[in-house]
Amino acid sequence: MKNILEIKKLSKSYSGNPALTNINLAIKEGEIHGIVGANGSGKSTLMNILFGSPVIQETGGYEGEIFFQGKKINIKSCSEAIRMGIGMVHQEFALIPDMTAGENIKLGRERTYKFTDRLFGRRYSFINKKQDYEDAAKILRKLNMNLDVSIKIMNLSTNIKQFIELAREIGRQDLKLLLLDEPTAVLNKKDGLELINILQEMARGGLSIIFISHRLEEVQQICDRVTVFRDGKLVSQYQKGKFSINNLAGDMIGHLVSKAAAEKREIKGRPIISLKRFHVKMPGEEIKDMDLTVFKGEILGLTSLSGHGKLALGYGFMGLYPVEGEVFYENQKLTKMEAKTNIIKGIYVLPDDRQGLGLLLEHTIEENIIFPGNQIKNMFSRSFGLKILDFIDRKKSLSHVQNLIHDFQIKCTSPKQKVKELSGGNQQKVCIARALTLKPKLLFATEPTRGVDIAAKEKILNMLIEINRTQNTTIIIASSELDELKRICDRIAVMVEGKVFKILSPDSSDLEFGLALSGEEGT
Amino acid sequence: MKNYLKNYKIQTPQIIISFFLIALICLAFILDMDLVVLLNESLIKLVMNGILVLSLIPMINAGAGMNFGLPVGIIGGLIGLCLAVNFRITGLFGFVMSLLFSLVICLFLGWIYGLILNKVKGREEIAGTFIGFSFIPLMNYFWTLVPFQNREMLYPIGGQGLRPKISLENYFSNVLDDMWLLQVGSLEIPVGLFAFYGLVCIFIYLFFQTKVGRATIAVGENEAFSKLSGLDISRIRLIAIIISTVIAGFGICVYSQSYGFIQLYDEPLSMAFPAISAVLIGGSTGKKAYIFEAVLGTYLLQTMYLLTIPIANEILIPELTEILRTFITYGIILYALLIKDRRGNKQ
Amino acid sequence: MRIKDGTDGGIINRVNRFVDSEHLVPAVFLVLSFFAWQFSGFSGAFVFNQVLTRFIRDGVLVLSLIIPVVAGMGLNFAITVGAMAIQTALLLVINFQVEGATGILSVIFLGVLLSVALGFAIGHVLNRVKGKEMITTIIIGFLFNSIYQLIFLVGFGTFIPVFNQEIILSRGIGVRNTVDLGMYRNTIDKLWLLKIGAWEFPIFMILVVLFFAAGIYYLLNTRFGHEVKAIGSNNEKAEVSGINVNLIRIKVIILSTVLAAFGQLFYLQNIGMFDVYTAHLNADVISCAALLAGGASIKSAKIRHGILGIFLFHTLFIVSPQAGQNLFNNAALGEYFRSFVAYGTIAFALIINIKNENK
Repeated sequence: MKNILEIKKLSKSYSGNPALTNINLAIKEGEIHGIVGANGSGKSTLMNILFGSPVIQETGGYEGEIFFQGKKINIKSCSEAIRMGIGMVHQEFALIPDMTAGENIKLGRERTYKFTDRLFGRRYSFINKKQDYEDAAKILRKLNMNLDVSIKIMNLSTNIKQFIELAREIGRQDLKLLLLDEPTAVLNKKDGLELINILQEMARGGLSIIFISHRLEEVQQICDRVTVFRDGKLVSQYQKGKFSINNLAGDMIGHLVSKAAAEKREIKGRPIISLKRFHVKMPGEEIKDMDLTVFKGEILGLTSLSGHGKLALGYGFMGLYPVEGEVFYENQKLTKMEAKTNIIKGIYVLPDDRQGLGLLLEHTIEENIIFPGNQIKNMFSRSFGLKILDFIDRKKSLSHVQNLIHDFQIKCTSPKQKVKELSGGNQQKVCIARALTLKPKLLFATEPTRGVDIAAKEKILNMLIEINRTQNTTIIIASSELDELKRICDRIAVMVEGKVFKILSPDSSDLEFGLALSGEEGT
Repeated sequence: MKNYLKNYKIQTPQIIISFFLIALICLAFILDMDLVVLLNESLIKLVMNGILVLSLIPMINAGAGMNFGLPVGIIGGLIGLCLAVNFRITGLFGFVMSLLFSLVICLFLGWIYGLILNKVKGREEIAGTFIGFSFIPLMNYFWTLVPFQNREMLYPIGGQGLRPKISLENYFSNVLDDMWLLQVGSLEIPVGLFAFYGLVCIFIYLFFQTKVGRATIAVGENEAFSKLSGLDISRIRLIAIIISTVIAGFGICVYSQSYGFIQLYDEPLSMAFPAISAVLIGGSTGKKAYIFEAVLGTYLLQTMYLLTIPIANEILIPELTEILRTFITYGIILYALLIKDRRGNKQ
Repeated sequence: MRIKDGTDGGIINRVNRFVDSEHLVPAVFLVLSFFAWQFSGFSGAFVFNQVLTRFIRDGVLVLSLIIPVVAGMGLNFAITVGAMAIQTALLLVINFQVEGATGILSVIFLGVLLSVALGFAIGHVLNRVKGKEMITTIIIGFLFNSIYQLIFLVGFGTFIPVFNQEIILSRGIGVRNTVDLGMYRNTIDKLWLLKIGAWEFPIFMILVVLFFAAGIYYLLNTRFGHEVKAIGSNNEKAEVSGINVNLIRIKVIILSTVLAAFGQLFYLQNIGMFDVYTAHLNADVISCAALLAGGASIKSAKIRHGILGIFLFHTLFIVSPQAGQNLFNNAALGEYFRSFVAYGTIAFALIINIKNENK
């Protein structure tokens, strides 16, 4: 069979950080080609390149060659990709919320009246709405759905939206290659199976499909071939029937060479915090029905594929997103999930988005380190009576900050240097120094080593261990860097679809982690 | 401040305005105008308009944007002035009383204005514009129906409703302008006026040193960070908006005593725009503003206006002053809206 | 499968829904207009004829606001720029003393040309200030106003040669405050005038306004129109659906500016006197307030909102000064009420809409 798509020596980096390196991949006509990989493996970057997402061009394009139907292409915009016959079903849905299901399915391909076609051309010709709706309903019936297509998208549930998005793509006559990004993630098992049947039928009709999914079982079941990505590289490729789920899970994680940075110990204290049926409604990282108990003094790792909820936990405690469920902290039920209340109680979060959430970039190192301590706990204050009119006791704060800069080896010219001028690693050290100033009992560290160079990474991990050992601070680290978690955690909780799927010991094998991340029980 | 001056960068608008100003000064020199008189006047103009410009700073720094709703504070100040005149309080005491009256009224108006602006977070500028615009006709009812007794304020015929232009001659016109005049050659420096201006500057400076003031700047720079740090965003914004409103009230009191008249009715309608353009010309991006920028911008803009009036009269097109004034005002605001936020403060 | 949210009762809920809905504002206007009309003592026919005149005078200006709202760009206060474009064309044509049908046609041709160019520029500017379009359009309107004044008050007679001395101030520089449109006045207004008792129906002009309304309706139901709706709903999602968002936004503003130019032309020919420096000044605020009075919001506007809005808003506008006079013995109070209604309607709509968006 002919190749519809050929990718040769494709590389892409975002401001120096490689996201894809030297990818060679071919997709055959009528093939369902699975792509699996953990976070940061480069799957989404590949999809973005193929579908012409603006972000690729804005960050300097890519290297290498892409051939579509034998012709070399360089896709610069989504509309260009669509014109070539490439379609994409997005994980977060590219449906227009204020338009009806029918209008969405036919968007850009509306039926128009012949008379006005001749008068003004297709683009300015009057739309035959009735015909459009009939067409849309017909396509949906092909997907075994009976839906009133005049309902607006925003009034529909997520799994229906998934089918409508698919209907929009398969309604296209010229569709040759369909990119599916986690199409079954929002579906229950039954709807998922139905979707898979439909996809297989479409592939038999000659359509090529690239299928990204974290559900390895599905991948094994429907894909003609599967490619595994890891850290931006293509690591393996399998033919249908010639691999097991264990193969995929193992390849996804790779073999981790990690030396424990912290000595093993058995934590059996009293719980510091326990969650019962906990929900955090963070868009794209939702936590649903989470049960978890964390013991006093331990370091707990929290990991998952992206979108499965590991990031949301800390933010839920700081009141950034609405929460539900029960939380017991030091045997007391927490009633108010609000930053100020919880900071005073000894809970603090190191955010993953340092630039957006973690730092005042225009402020000095000193100001960044003392900010919440000063604002919430009135540390370093010089008072004249009324608390809100307090000035800063510069002497006290400066000596505190200088000690921290020295202890943590923050590279800077002075405590008065602006934080935006520091490197990522030093910025993260400033964040940790700030957390330390508050002397928290429970610290959430969210992706603490993201965007940080190797040397700083070691330093940051050691800092976390030191805080834990000397101050008995309980730390929950949410991270997708499995090897780092294995090195410093006492236990590692793996989350799938917003729930704790399994709690593993850091000694567990790579395969166990791979399977758990994909939500497979394994054997 | 020291740190800031070190980082201060001169930007395109200041260069253009400065060149324009130099050209005008040359032109005035050629046309044989008395430059010392102009300089004297420019000092008074600086303070006359300067406090209104300063009033924008707390709101800008709290992230509530350029205060297009400035008329709210101005009206508060006008009510204070009218009360003082109605009770026939004269002299410096009268002026101080008008400040006190407007303080009380602006606290209240600012509180309501702040509550509304907190509901339209992120779009304060357009909402503020129309809150200001619609507040003015509403207040016209007040001016028409308020039962003030002082006949010098009322329409001469019928005796009901305040005049559009109330003279302060018998009350406190120029009390600050004429306080502690210092003669240096033929140059007269109004020390009293400058002392008052300095006092307001120091007040704003000290405010940003306090805990709530520092929180204000943090909220303006990064709201998400502030929320994660446990700050009550709405309350802090509310405080900043109230302070802005109060200073605006003081601003119009100083303006009126310099001008010698209280101007009511539709007069505050377009006062927000020149004030905003002043702080922008001073170098602010509209996302963060410093006292220095407000002072510099006011001085550049006001001196330029001052110079254009006689020059335009000289070339027989008196409307030119007003046209140029509006052109510069709106041009600079549009420029500020167009330059992208360089502080990376993504929403 | 959950298709729609259930509607649960509760009086507060229901009241809230009514406040947010498109019914409240028109209802308030209806009640206010009715009482103001009662106190004004005007006859029904007089008010009706007046409102119908306003309908043909302001109709197209109001309609010109609809497409930008649908495109998610909010109220386009820069329609004054379109108005100034046609006024510029008019003044140039009068200056060159082109008369009759040629004159009218050259006004339209020049005006459209100018509006397209200006709309293109404004569209580019607005693409750089996404999310702040409304405040930017206000400032653009003001800025163009000073440029316009600069051209006609200072430029005429200095840089631009004067051919028609009648329109020039006595000092030889600058155009007069008012220019008589004598020959153009009411030329088409009285066409097909239908009289039923005291009620007058200028059928032709009503049809013209309705024709523009139909044109906008048509346009919104083409592929182009669907793209406009898509970007109005969500920019990013429209982009990945293969729509060139920036290009559509520019086209939308060009359209709006051109429609505004036509609107101002009808306005001027209906009035017959051309106040060179003030005719366009309140076109934006009055039109926006009228559109909102009909139940539109800054996120959604339909033709019927525009048409209903003109009737409601202008009824109130016409009767309130007289009502003020009769009630308080002070016509000025009615005037204040008018401006308060115009600005207040926009302020109210902005606050309610943005508040709901922020939720």
